[in-house]
This record gives sequence, C-alpha cells and structure tokens, in this order.
Amino acid sequence: MADEALGCTDLVKRYRDGDQRIAAVDGVNFSMPPGQLWALEGPSGSGKTTLLLALGGLLAPTSGDVRVAGRSTVGLRDHHRTRWRRAKVGFVFQELQLVRGMTLLENVLLPRVPEGGATGEERDRALALLERFGVAEKAGTQVERLSGGERQRGALARAMLHAPPVLLLDEPTAHVDAENAARIVGLLEELKGGGPAILVTTHDPRLAEHAAVDRRLVMRDGKLASAAL
Amino acid sequence: MRRGLALLVYALGSLRRRARRSVALALGLALATGLYASAVFLADALRAEYRANLDAAPDLTVQRLVAGRPALVPEDALTDLEALPGVRSVRPRLWGYLFVEAIEANVVVAAVEAGPELAPALATGEPLGPADALGDERPALVGPVLAERLALFPGDGLAIPDARGELVLLRVRGVFDPATALQAADLVLVHEATARRLLGVPEGEVTDLAIALAAPEEAPVVSAAVAERLPMSRVVDRVALERAYELTFDGRAGLVAALLLPMLAALLLMAWDRFSGLGESERREIGVLKAIGWGTGDVLLARLVEALVVTAGGVSLGLLAAYGYAFLLGAPGMSGALFGWSTLYPEPELAPATSLAQLFSLAGLVVGPLVAVALVPAWRASMLDPDEVIRGG
Repeated sequence: MADEALGCTDLVKRYRDGDQRIAAVDGVNFSMPPGQLWALEGPSGSGKTTLLLALGGLLAPTSGDVRVAGRSTVGLRDHHRTRWRRAKVGFVFQELQLVRGMTLLENVLLPRVPEGGATGEERDRALALLERFGVAEKAGTQVERLSGGERQRGALARAMLHAPPVLLLDEPTAHVDAENAARIVGLLEELKGGGPAILVTTHDPRLAEHAAVDRRLVMRDGKLASAAL
Repeated sequence: MRRGLALLVYALGSLRRRARRSVALALGLALATGLYASAVFLADALRAEYRANLDAAPDLTVQRLVAGRPALVPEDALTDLEALPGVRSVRPRLWGYLFVEAIEANVVVAAVEAGPELAPALATGEPLGPADALGDERPALVGPVLAERLALFPGDGLAIPDARGELVLLRVRGVFDPATALQAADLVLVHEATARRLLGVPEGEVTDLAIALAAPEEAPVVSAAVAERLPMSRVVDRVALERAYELTFDGRAGLVAALLLPMLAALLLMAWDRFSGLGESERREIGVLKAIGWGTGDVLLARLVEALVVTAGGVSLGLLAAYGYAFLLGAPGMSGALFGWSTLYPEPELAPATSLAQLFSLAGLVVGPLVAVALVPAWRASMLDPDEVIRGG
C-alpha cells in the first residue's frame, strides 16, 4: 500500500431493517494516492454517504479495513479514532455545514476547541484560508447571514484548517448556483495540487465530468460498479 | 486546563445562542433557590437571635400551677429557694398580657424591677428613673412596633385598661431600639407599682421566679429540688425554652421550606426537560461537532459545563437575591409567616447567621441534583450518531 492516502479492503457495512439485513456498503476495495481528486457517483441510496462516513471513521464498518494516511483505523478505540480523524481527515457535508449563531471564523476554528482552542498561528491560517476561498470579508459574519456558496466555502476552509492528508466531501455543489459550483470545483483542483487525497460524492456532472477529476467511481447497491474516467 | 477553558468558552457561546431558554431556566432556578434560601437565611438569623436572647434568660424559671392553670407565686417562696444548694440568686418577676383595644392586640406589661433582662436598649427618650421620684406620674418605656402603631413619642400619654377594665394613663419616657423588636416589639415596661395595678397582682405575690444557678449544668438537679420544695410548681429550664423556640421557628421555617419544595421539584423537571430535550438545531450542532472531530468526551464535557453554568449562575443569583431580600429588604411577605406570634409583628433587624459551609451545602442541594439530572441527557447527546443526524438533517 505504498503511497496511499486513503484506502479500504473488503469494506462492508450492513444495517438491520426489521428482519432484513441490508448491505449499504458491500465489499468495497480501492486505494487512493495523495494529490488526487476522485468523484464517487451513484443514485440515491446506493451507499455513497455510508461509504464516506465509514472511510472518515464516523461509522464503524461491519467488516473490512479502512486505512487513512497509512494507518488502519478500524481497530482503533473510539477516542484514538477521534483524534486520528481530527488530525488526518477533513469533512464537508451537504447539509451539516456550519453551526448557526457563530461567526464564520468561529466555525472554522471550532475543530480546535477540544485541543484547547486555536493558537494565533491557527487563527492566521484560518483567515488565510478564508481569504484564499474568497470569503475573508465574511469572517466576522454569523453564518445564517451567508449565502449557500459562502457557507460551503467556509465549511471547506474549516475542513482544511489542519491541512489533512484526506478530504471527504458530500455533494459539495448540490445547493449552490453555477458560479459558486465552478468556484468550488476550481478550489478543489487547486487544493489537490497541495497534496491531499480528495474524495467527493456527487450527482453533479459539472463536478464529476470536470477535467480536474482524476477518477470516477460509480456505486450501485453498495458495490463499486465501475471505475472509469 | 486550556481544553477546559476552551470548552467553557464554547459552552458560554452555546448558552448565548439559546439565550431565551438559558435565561428562563436560570431565572426560574434563581427564583426557587432564592425563596428557599430566604427561608433558610431567616431561620438561621432567627435562631441566632433567640439564642442570643436566651443568654440573658434565667437558668430556671419557676411558675405555679393551680388546677393546671398558671397562678401567682407567693413572694416568700423566694427565701426557700435561695437556700437550695446550687442556687446563686432568686429574683421575683412581674409581667403579663393586657388587651389594648385601640390596636386590637395584646401587649406585654412587665415591671422593670422584677425583670431587668426585659430592658433592652432605647432608641429615643430616657430610662424610667427611680420609682419614688416621680409622684403621681406613671412612666413607661414602650416597644418599637407598639410605638409605631400608636405613633408614640417620648412625652406622649398611653392609656391602658387595667385588670378591672379601668384605664390607667402612662407617660411614655422612651421607645426601645427597633433592633430589639424580636424581644420587645409589644413590650410596655413600667415600675412595679404600676405593673401591680395594671396586672392586678397583689403585694406579696409575683408572676414567676427567676433563678440564677452557680453552675448551669446543675439545672436538672436544682429543678428536681425546686419541685420538691414547692409542690404544684412548674420549673422551666433554658434548654426547654430553647426547645420551645426551636419548635416554633424551625417549625415555621420548615413549613415555608416545605411549601417551596414542590417549586424546586418543578424546576428540576424543567431542567431535565431543558437538558434532555435536544432541539433540531442542537442535534445538528452535535452532529457537526462530531463530524469535525469532537469526541464523545468533548461533547459530554461541553454539555455538562453548560448545565453547570446555568445552574451555578441561577443558584448564585438566587442566593444573592435571597440575602438582599432577607437582610436588606426585611423579607416582606415571608417575615409574617416566620416571625409572627401576636398581632404586633416584630420587624427585627436580623444579622446574617448562615455559615459558608451552609451556603455551599445549600448551593450543592440545588446544583448537585441539577447537574446529575443533566448528566444522562448530556451523555445521550454526546453518543448521538453523526450518521443519524446527517441523514436526518
């Protein structure tokens, strides 16, 4: 597994639904090198988000292995996995973006609270990220006053605060207009050049078919049905 | 330390974001704690006050009972009792109650010669002066509440009906200090001759006898000797008096506190509801926190800090308000329930007598259960599966 940022082997996640067992993720294997942008496509209910959560350590898989930055995370105890995730994984969710009632900058610095709060250096880095993502002037604005695109870029800045080797995004362009979608895709292209492995789930052809995407994975019924470019 | 501080700052921000609910809960807690603490503060202050009064009370008080009713004591019994071993001195006392129609209340009439412990400090006027130097004038010192009700000042006349119903005119020479109200609210202190006339006590008899002992711990032994020497007598020692006071004041304070307990219980339920009821925005917030790398312990600690800040803030506010209500405002509304034993309610200037340890235990009584109440919902919140929130959101 040399030169792997994110990978999984025989990954399975099953749920119980009454008497039935449903395999949301059913034997998924891949190995993703750093500095790449992959798109994970598939119809609703195909298991994309479940796979993303399992890869990010937010969901314990039923079986199989997940590796993040060269380390298996499946056998880790909860608090070790949390710390590992905090250090190595950046998350951006479609719905769960930012905490209402807090400013954009406070949101970006929120992951640092369990570590004792942001240092001056981290604060500077947060402001630099907001500047880079074009929302620096909104740093002191409460997030409910921001547009969908601004929020999404703020969430991206938060995910990038600790420069993680793995960035996971769930439908990052789903609720933004064409201009903001293009801006986010441009940012992802720019970010992958810096080294992180970026995996995005998407239905959006503007993102999936973009030239910056190195690989497209398609999921159906919990399995990776095809891998194509 | 830094982590705790950062989580505290986050928890304060979280409370600010849900300010209306947090403030409502803190104020409710402050109200319940404040009322409960007021009753405790007042009871403690009263207890200290009556214990101070008891220090001036005789070691033993001897009364006479006839057919179960209090009767006058022959003054010559004094000589018999003075001869008892352990008795330092015996003093005859002359006092009783008289109904004053103008205020529709009883007042306590006492003779100054027979009860010097019933002569507290004066606020205005002068002492009674020697009995033989006053001619026909019947001077009196009156209690602050009585003086206020009748608008009495030194030099004013006060007509009180004697035991036969004939009005006796007293001349007010002084008014007792309001700080002594618990002891002297409705007191009329006069010379012995006036007291005998008002109370209808003939020469050679007194209301009771006050005994001072050489060693107060010998009270039970001397009591038994007094009972043997004076059949049909009742001997009240200071311990019995203290018990009577405690039964009166602690019973009243307990009643007030018991009335307030349901309110505290209701507040506990409200707090449970507040800390266990995760609104949609809170669920989303916890989902976000866990998704961005907060651990279960971090969320649990933040929720507990929130609970602690609300409860400690509300309780501190309640204790401060209780202190101001009890000792600066004089506990309007509650003092009647705690102090009153006659129509003339005293308004004593009580001094705080609650110890720091009691304050902490009072705070702990509320904060402890509330934080415990918050613990389970906080744990449930911290265990919230981000996946569930993400899909639910």
